[in-house]
Amino acid sequence: MTDVASRRDVDERPAITERVVTLTVNGRPHTLRLDTRVTLLDALRDRLGLVGTKKGCDQGACGACTVHLDGRRVLACLTLAAQAEGRAITTIEGVSGADGQHPVQQAFMEHDGFQCGFCTPGQIMSAVALMAEGRAGSDAEIREFMSGNLCRCGAYPNIVAAIREAASQGGHDAGL
Amino acid sequence: MSTVESRRRPLVGAGVNRVDGPRKVTGTAPYPMDFSVPGQAYGALVQSTIAAGRIVRMHTEAAERAPGVIGVLTHENAPRVGTGPVTVLGASPPAPLRNDRIVHHGQHIAFVVAETPEQAGAAARLVRADYEATEPLLDLQDPRAEHLVDPWGMDTSRGDTAAAMASAEVTLRATYTTADNTHNPLGLFATLAAWEGDTLTVHDTSQWPSMVRTSLAMAFGIPESSVRVLVPYVGGGFGAGLRAWPHVILTAMAARVLRRPVKLVLTRPQMFTSVGHRPSGVQWLRVGATRDGELLVLNHRSLISLSMEDNDYEPFASATAFAYRCPNVITQDRQARINIAVPTSMRAPAEAQGNFALESALDELAYTLGMDPVELRLRNHTDVDPRNGLPWSGKALLECYEVGARRFGWSRRNPRPRSMRDGNWLVGYGMASALFPYFAQPCAAQATVRGDGSALVRSAATDIGTGTYTVMAQLAAEELGLPLDMVRFDLGDSDMPNSMMAGGSGLTGALGNAVHDACRRLVRSFTELAWASPESPLRGVPPDDVQCTGGTIHPVGRPDLGESYVEILARHELSELTANGKSSPPVPEELGMSLAGAYGAKFVEVRVDADLGLLRVARVVSVIDGGRILNEKTARSQIIGGTVGGIGMTLFEDTVTDPHTGRIANATFGDYLVAVNADVPELDVVFVGEPDRGTATGTKGVGEVGLVGIAPAIANAVYHATGKRIRQLPITLDALL
Amino acid sequence: MRAFDYVRATDTREAVRLLAEDPAASCLAGGTTQLDLMKDGVLEPPRLIDITRLPLHGIERRGAALHVGALATMEELAADATVAARLPMVRESLLRGASVQLRNMATIGGNLLQRTRCRYFRDPTVPECNKRTPGSGCAAAQGAARMHAVLGASERCIALHASDLAVALVALDAVVHIQGPAEARTVPLTEFYLTADESPQRENVLEHAELITAVEIPLPSAAARSGYLKVRDRASYEFALASAAVLLVLEDGMIRQARVGLGGVGTKPWRAYESEHVLTGASATTATFREAADAALRDAWTVPGTAFKVPLARRTLVRELQTVSEVTA
Repeated sequence: MTDVASRRDVDERPAITERVVTLTVNGRPHTLRLDTRVTLLDALRDRLGLVGTKKGCDQGACGACTVHLDGRRVLACLTLAAQAEGRAITTIEGVSGADGQHPVQQAFMEHDGFQCGFCTPGQIMSAVALMAEGRAGSDAEIREFMSGNLCRCGAYPNIVAAIREAASQGGHDAGL
Repeated sequence: MSTVESRRRPLVGAGVNRVDGPRKVTGTAPYPMDFSVPGQAYGALVQSTIAAGRIVRMHTEAAERAPGVIGVLTHENAPRVGTGPVTVLGASPPAPLRNDRIVHHGQHIAFVVAETPEQAGAAARLVRADYEATEPLLDLQDPRAEHLVDPWGMDTSRGDTAAAMASAEVTLRATYTTADNTHNPLGLFATLAAWEGDTLTVHDTSQWPSMVRTSLAMAFGIPESSVRVLVPYVGGGFGAGLRAWPHVILTAMAARVLRRPVKLVLTRPQMFTSVGHRPSGVQWLRVGATRDGELLVLNHRSLISLSMEDNDYEPFASATAFAYRCPNVITQDRQARINIAVPTSMRAPAEAQGNFALESALDELAYTLGMDPVELRLRNHTDVDPRNGLPWSGKALLECYEVGARRFGWSRRNPRPRSMRDGNWLVGYGMASALFPYFAQPCAAQATVRGDGSALVRSAATDIGTGTYTVMAQLAAEELGLPLDMVRFDLGDSDMPNSMMAGGSGLTGALGNAVHDACRRLVRSFTELAWASPESPLRGVPPDDVQCTGGTIHPVGRPDLGESYVEILARHELSELTANGKSSPPVPEELGMSLAGAYGAKFVEVRVDADLGLLRVARVVSVIDGGRILNEKTARSQIIGGTVGGIGMTLFEDTVTDPHTGRIANATFGDYLVAVNADVPELDVVFVGEPDRGTATGTKGVGEVGLVGIAPAIANAVYHATGKRIRQLPITLDALL
Repeated sequence: MRAFDYVRATDTREAVRLLAEDPAASCLAGGTTQLDLMKDGVLEPPRLIDITRLPLHGIERRGAALHVGALATMEELAADATVAARLPMVRESLLRGASVQLRNMATIGGNLLQRTRCRYFRDPTVPECNKRTPGSGCAAAQGAARMHAVLGASERCIALHASDLAVALVALDAVVHIQGPAEARTVPLTEFYLTADESPQRENVLEHAELITAVEIPLPSAAARSGYLKVRDRASYEFALASAAVLLVLEDGMIRQARVGLGGVGTKPWRAYESEHVLTGASATTATFREAADAALRDAWTVPGTAFKVPLARRTLVRELQTVSEVTA
């Protein structure tokens, strides 16, 4: 029996396919020479050292890599770095203002909206966007529109409480 | 909102925010995958595509020629390494790449190292294997499977179950099955290994750094002092981090062979086969009782799946031996070796499954008797451990029932199935009792107070989200009489004093007792220094008669006669003073008490769509006796988290194995369903009870008891809603159509 | 992922030309299917043509239809005022499909072309997959099937088309606008898809060098009521076990017009003409709805793991017919 995992004996392609990409992250441009395969997530983490954005599945199914692209929440793991060129990229590192943490971050701490903390940057990026989308009007709405961010520790009720509070304090006005 | 109803002894720092919160919400807490070292290369695993047989030949040429590839390890060229230690969880996993034998689908058969992660991943797909496949054993109940009988020596028998069964007025027998679950912490497991000569530094996703250090030392034949394992933050564990997995050894092996630091991040599909899973099982229960609900017989037997070459600690039936007062009890656990990846303790191991069977059976018995399920449990409550006749060190279970029934509104329940409805939704109430047995291992901690009066306390523990950083700092602050912001607790470094695993709900208690001991000894050292000084106000004060407040040591009740740590250090021209503390598990016979562990009562309301079979959890009330609660906020989070895990286990989680190939057929987050935010209602959590009498800190550990009891409470509520008794997890809508 | 050449197309004709030049090239739009499958090693195009900057983003009312640019995102379409007012079933199908993050990425054209979630298809180490390797067999039909199809399925392939939106759009007789190297053409969505029992390896009539440029959704009459019901294990963020898109025009308790799409059950987004025949001209009663649901599932082909989908899909359709008609008797 032969494994059919790979039907090719050799990869006949050129050694590496690269592209020079300029990414604007948290307001700062970065020019990188990247393998075209590099996702926005890996570019942020491995090339720019912005490891706050997490890799939980690399398959678009967990939300841990949520970042904002031109103000909208997207998954960095299913976005090629090259696709993000010319777009405004905001990561968890860009959420805190000069005057301290974003109200959502403060509310997450106050309500213990995390345990291991691994999904937390994605949850916070999602929550900040959720409020800008005007979807923090009720607990049911928050639950539905936060369901793309898995939390295996099960902090959901506290996440809902944190967002409820941040929204009630007009946290969406704080914006980004 | 949760409250702490019992305030007979004040709680330590109730509701303190996590000290690591600022790092976690800003993305600056470094998890194992976040570390990098200069010159590192990247690893990628190749896994077997058969479940049983042997490798005839590996084809690595294409991968070796692929761009950026530095090396490919297979069993044909890998150095032989030693096997790790036998621990409380059993033998270490067999060493990787040691022969041509394949025992499960997804077994690591090669390790590719390249300059970039993209190159490593692409090259790994170019590795081929020729196999000689044999028919795998994949069904737990396959008669050809080898059985391990009483693998942990925990089978029990008391009384005469056969005679009692024959004389019981009411009898019941039922079979329950539970699925494979996969831990799936959000953080992909990662290992970064770097050698300097014969010294190895490893960042690894682990719940037990000291064990990983020992395992790596044994693997490579080097002293433990030459290995350092670092894990300041863990992206969730739930048990998956309790072993030094083959991929950890492989990463260190590749780094040694290739003389490069190597970093490996598992893929999500690899998380299903590389870091354990909750084993599936079948349980057979026979119950005998009197007509007024007195339990006469519990006969609880299980068959649990196990891999071909590994151990797993998972005695499903064991807690039935002491859950209720019952004179005639048999508990027996068997394991069947089949061609699956290695199972490993997953949040509430054994209890998650065993309690589902027992508490479902009691609900069935309650219906047979026409008795309220709470009343049945009250009638069989025991305040002594039936195994040894010793009183429990703390058990507020009766209070759990009472408070839970009241908060939930249990009295509003019409016990008749299908009697409560809201439009298309059938409404059901169910309850279950829960326990998680006491567990502890030896722990050590070191406490230091520095010249500026701040304290640093350290132990090689981990904080997997349970709040270890926070509650240990709180404990130390209390013992040292310092404000919390003057105390730092450091962990996650195997060079620190040895700690037990973050597992078995044991760390908070065991480590807490070690921290307590270290701080007490440190205060004593300070007091003794002062005692000898003519100019100290503490001169002549017996070291046992002091207390600490505001950074000052003073005679009990006389803060005006105190002297600060800063003053004592300065007088003796010391930059700091350090003391070591330790703890070991108490011995019941010496205490005259049986160590109780945590208890709880769970009350659940479900909704089942009468036509579509949709099952939703509408309300959960959890009343927990966790002994002393060190931090009400983080403890509540533990119970909430356990509850969410329990909802997932009951409604969704099922690691599906292809019946022909043994391949996991749903190894992604799109296919293996865990609970999402919309699945979880507001959860009511209440702590009752008193500090446990068995240990100094009085904690019981609440990491697991939150999950236990959720499955049977939901299943019992489903019966109440629909009249359908589901004895199989997960309960999906196909069973309710 | 295998190495590939990345090219960014700036206009539609250039994109089509680039595609025509390279028979192995693929388009990249939202990436939510394409990159996922490339990571899995199922797709290995040597060249990716990024079409996300083509001017195909607009959503506009054109007479009695809504013209949706192929690159409009799911979130954009869900937020459109005309969709909210006239196409509730489209809006509901969008909001119940995927997470917000995915909906901000996934395009309407890409959604129609999304590939099956079948884990046997998505794992190239599984040798038997007629969709990946024609003639190799179907491991899913013999294996652990649940999230699989029962309509248009056979032992050759049971891969489910998991779109929610496309189910609503087939029910609405949406039309796909396609640009090829030589010419543009339109294809009714009901004729766009092929079933797996016909051709597991080919899922639609789109040729290699053709690009979807727009989807045209005819607006139903003002008298029409519609809705989309999605049934799944989780309360959110999951593909459908069964879903029903229903549009009805009722008059004095009689059904004047009926459109029915079924999701979660077909190897393509399923238009249930048999149900529509039963419903049209009949009185709106639960008995009629049940008959219509039976008709839709009459030709179901199941394996043990998917057998539950037949009663589930029937009940889902009956429930949504009841909900849309407000008839429960």
